[in-house]
Amino acid sequence: MSTPTPTAAHQRSEGKANKSRKKKGDQGVVEQKSAAQVWGKSAMLGIILLWCLFPFFWLIMTSLKKGNNALNSPNIFEGPFGLQNYEAVFAQDFHLNLRNSLAIAGITTILCIVVGSFAAYALARLPLKRKILLLGGVLAVSLFPPVALVPPLYELWRTLGLLNTWEGLYIPYTSFTLPLTIFILTTFFASIPKDLEEAARVDGASPFKAFYKIILPLAAPGVFAAAIIIFVSAWNEFLLASTFAPRNPEIAQTVPVAIAAFTGAVQFQRPVGTITAACVVVTIPMIIVALLFQKRIVSGLTAGSVKG
Amino acid sequence: MTATTTAEEQQPAPGGSDKPAKARRREMTETTLGRVFVSPAILLMALVALFPVIYAFVISLQAYTGRLNEGFAGVDNYVTALTNERFWTSLQFTLIFTVASVAAEFIIGLGFALLMNQAFRGRGLTRAAILVPWVIPTVIAAQMWFFMFNVTPGFINSLFGLGDFNWLGQSGWAAFTIIFADVWKTAPFVALLLLAGLQTIPGDVYEGARVDGAKMFQRFWYITMPLLKPAILVALLFRTVEALRVYDLPQVMTGGAFDTESLSILVQQYVVRTPDPGLGSALSTITFALILGIGLIFVNLLGKDLVIGEGESK
Repeated sequence: MSTPTPTAAHQRSEGKANKSRKKKGDQGVVEQKSAAQVWGKSAMLGIILLWCLFPFFWLIMTSLKKGNNALNSPNIFEGPFGLQNYEAVFAQDFHLNLRNSLAIAGITTILCIVVGSFAAYALARLPLKRKILLLGGVLAVSLFPPVALVPPLYELWRTLGLLNTWEGLYIPYTSFTLPLTIFILTTFFASIPKDLEEAARVDGASPFKAFYKIILPLAAPGVFAAAIIIFVSAWNEFLLASTFAPRNPEIAQTVPVAIAAFTGAVQFQRPVGTITAACVVVTIPMIIVALLFQKRIVSGLTAGSVKG
Repeated sequence: MTATTTAEEQQPAPGGSDKPAKARRREMTETTLGRVFVSPAILLMALVALFPVIYAFVISLQAYTGRLNEGFAGVDNYVTALTNERFWTSLQFTLIFTVASVAAEFIIGLGFALLMNQAFRGRGLTRAAILVPWVIPTVIAAQMWFFMFNVTPGFINSLFGLGDFNWLGQSGWAAFTIIFADVWKTAPFVALLLLAGLQTIPGDVYEGARVDGAKMFQRFWYITMPLLKPAILVALLFRTVEALRVYDLPQVMTGGAFDTESLSILVQQYVVRTPDPGLGSALSTITFALILGIGLIFVNLLGKDLVIGEGESK
């Protein structure tokens, strides 16, 4: 920026670069850029886009192929296309799997948010003894491999009759997602200015009232971000779901288990068309949610791990 | 921020003249409230995470025939587990998978993050797209890559003209395919974490270095990397611990065949398919100790910084 460049083209591109940098609030390297450089870097972004989106495009195209075409032809643009595979998916009770997954992930999210936001508020704000020890414990639980719970919980659930039930899944999901919830929410609560509660308390509000009247509404965006992340991780869970509720869509079999179980339907060939169609049905709503709430999700994902 | 200022304006704070007695009483109630608020979370985690781990240890000391308890067995199950070749094979695959996938994800993720931090056009779009692999369930990613690599329909093979190359039907390449699918799914997530770290580095640090004549690579190596270290360590910690748990990808893509059985698949096998609660619990206890141990080494590397930093960014 300091040394003026001779050519008009250079100046123009520099101006452009500066403008867009200002617009997006960039803090990166401040450097002079030729038009070629700017476009070159944007082209590199194309690689990231291709990496992230192309496999999904392949998935959609394959799911739309009719009959044996999905299995036989590697060319994704070769028809005939139709919605046959989607009809096959719902003929296999897939809507029941969707219901189970929605319910289990939904209940997990609510439980995690309620229990987690109380704990996070206490950790961020209230005077607690051995706070470091508590946070260390929470961190240790977040390092637990879920598979360590599979044999003992299977025995416990068998005794308690919780195998093949919603409870058998959302209870362990909640305790497993709580550490992440607490980390994300503690960060959000800690970032809310303290004076607000103090003012409320001076005005005579009880600590509890200060929490749910002042802090909770202000933390709503953070709570929402945490909720999406919890929902996604509960929705995607496979190990516990396939162990504790491996069959019966009408009771508790979840979406990932159903999608993996399409494997066994035909002995030698997995039904490509049906599986890809089921994958698209599940993925499209999740992608829409991810795109709509992109900023919130990113702030939530990074809140738990990177110091502001 | 706007909400903050308006709320402050609405509630004029009277000059802070709290009486000491009142303050003490308030502190008491706050401490009590703190305990009440924390206890449900602690209780739940203790009951559903800590207790089962202890219970697994108790079960692992018992002998079983099928699901029938045959009494105390001492460390027999551990001896059986550790002398079983399958345990060592699955440990080997799990470690290779972890090292290879975390390394590849880190390099690709860092590359992506640096690109996104520099480019101006299309950054919003890329940042949205990068969430797509993260949000797709692992089972779906596994099925998707299974079919792309599989001989029928043979998309990857036809793309690179490889004929009927059997990616998933031979050891070595099967592991490669699984690692590839994992890198596809998680490298963008690593990029997201590292990008957040990159954006906390102020631009004037680079400005100064450039005035001093530092080359691009020097700026990267002597400024970016050291300042990014905390973000890198956190990303590596969570990725390593998660890679060690790997279950979904090999389970769906190969079912654990062709030397791709992970520790999680091995443990799960003794729970449902060939039930032996004693041996299963012994294996799960070993896996637990292994993963928690590696996790704690990382946490030690990070120091107390991590815990305090996450808890109180005051």
